[in-house]
Amino acid sequence: MGKGQPSYTDEEFVAAIRRDDDRALAQLYRLHFPMISHYVLQNSGTEDEAKDVYQEGVMVFYEKVRDGSLELSCQIKTYLYAVCRRLWLKRLTDKTRFGGRLDDHEPYLETGAEADLEEAEERDRRLGTMAQALDRIGEPCRSLLEGFYLLDKSMQQLTAEFGYTNADNAKNQKYKCLVRLKKLFFNQYQEQI
Amino acid sequence: MKTEADYYALFDAYRSGGLAEEERATLEHRLAADPELARRLQEFEELTGTLTAYGRRLALRRKLHAIHADMDAERAVRLTPLAKAAEEDERHEQFATGRAPRPALRISRTEEKLRQFWHGHRATMMVAASVAVLAVFTTLLGMEMYRASQKPSLYGYTVLRREVERIKRNQRSMNRTLNQIDATATPEKVNPGKFSGTGFALTADGYLVTSYHVIQGADSLLIESRERQRYRAEPVFTDVAHDLAILQIKDKNFKGFGRLPYSFKRGQSDLGERVYTLGYPREDLVFNDGSLSARSGFEGDTGFYQISIPVNPGNSGGPLLDDRGNLIGIISGRQMDVQSAAFATKSSYLMRLVDSLGTAGAGKPYNMPRTNQLTGTSRPQQIRKLQDYVFVVKVYE
Repeated sequence: MGKGQPSYTDEEFVAAIRRDDDRALAQLYRLHFPMISHYVLQNSGTEDEAKDVYQEGVMVFYEKVRDGSLELSCQIKTYLYAVCRRLWLKRLTDKTRFGGRLDDHEPYLETGAEADLEEAEERDRRLGTMAQALDRIGEPCRSLLEGFYLLDKSMQQLTAEFGYTNADNAKNQKYKCLVRLKKLFFNQYQEQI
Repeated sequence: MKTEADYYALFDAYRSGGLAEEERATLEHRLAADPELARRLQEFEELTGTLTAYGRRLALRRKLHAIHADMDAERAVRLTPLAKAAEEDERHEQFATGRAPRPALRISRTEEKLRQFWHGHRATMMVAASVAVLAVFTTLLGMEMYRASQKPSLYGYTVLRREVERIKRNQRSMNRTLNQIDATATPEKVNPGKFSGTGFALTADGYLVTSYHVIQGADSLLIESRERQRYRAEPVFTDVAHDLAILQIKDKNFKGFGRLPYSFKRGQSDLGERVYTLGYPREDLVFNDGSLSARSGFEGDTGFYQISIPVNPGNSGGPLLDDRGNLIGIISGRQMDVQSAAFATKSSYLMRLVDSLGTAGAGKPYNMPRTNQLTGTSRPQQIRKLQDYVFVVKVYE
């Protein structure tokens, strides 16, 4: 990649991402994108699909790192490749319905990607339910909760934004919203299970 | 009684460490004692945890999009100056390394699509192309072989049947019929036949010999003597390998040839023997002579002689005689790329054919002439006797 940028080893990448180092993330992203893009293009995908699959794969990796639950038994490159390959094969089967004719004759690699992916799927489902619950909760709860939890705004900021007389009022409103969200969220989540 | 929202306020404070020491202790005590409260705390934590995770996920997605957009932008930017730089560097590079300058990487959208298509279907297309090439060559080769098998080894060999110039003759006969419109015109004269060759008598009772290629593909045959006497004939037997055909005259008017003046030689003739032939390369009987130059024919075929007689189309099927009036062969063809090399079927093969037909008992036995009236006479005398036994064979298709 570009000259003058620090190059990381795998351990340094993991450490840097745990530290929330955006530059390391960006570099990791650039480093392995060509490989995945090539794989997807080779297997009847487009550039956009490659991007989607790769971002999903990086997300799985990133969240595992941030959790601190990542047990890397191989190179990051291999791990990402395995994850993205599984993701792409799944997409292809969904897309074609015929399933077959995939370039999947590669030896199975013990990368832990399979288990991680199942975990990630579960997490996706939960986050998806959360997104739906947030959609259905209505204003001003939605903006209030999004402001506090998603955009990391302070209670004072939110008080000013929503025109509450003081921070306590805003807080009380927030807790009421949380209770409503809880009902929506757990009802849906349980339904799905 | 506290509402759920109040509990949430309490939990929130508890988690963010905003509770006083004794309040915390009370809460922890109650949590340990009251499972309902513990469940509530767990729910609260799961909810806020999921919310924060969701927030992080969104942030990460934005980040990755930004990185990707950056990357795309960089690539686009890199391409344009690169092209310029490449052009600038061209001269230096050529001097420095002697390498061809790299082409500029400016790719249009359609080209991009084409490249992707090529990328994805390269293997398939290559297989298809090789199959196509293979198919073309097999077809060409097959056709070539088929054609070769159709006419075996006739390269340079020309059979000598005369292809009658139909149109010319048609016109002539039309003129003739016009002129003779009130005279008594003979109706057969109108059709002149497509090919013609020469034939000669085999027996006194109406068998004739000619070359197989003369009558090849014939619908009907007409034998015409020197005095314009015509007889209808039919092929009795053909031998493609030795280019022989035996015809029989099937005509009520036919009374027999009379006694044949020549005899057929059963053995082989010697090199250098002076030989001659009579034939109808044109409307009239034509004499030609020469020597027997080899005892094998075209490409070493032992069924033929090579003779140095200038022969022409129409001579085919003519008799080849030696000085003593023995019939030693039947004119068949000539080689185009060799000076005056004509070929004649050996009479021994004709004899063998006749013998085999005789023993097969197909119809009447062949009464071959046994005596030779030509021996010892001069050549013009021989020809005078011979000419009545040599005929034009006309072929209608």
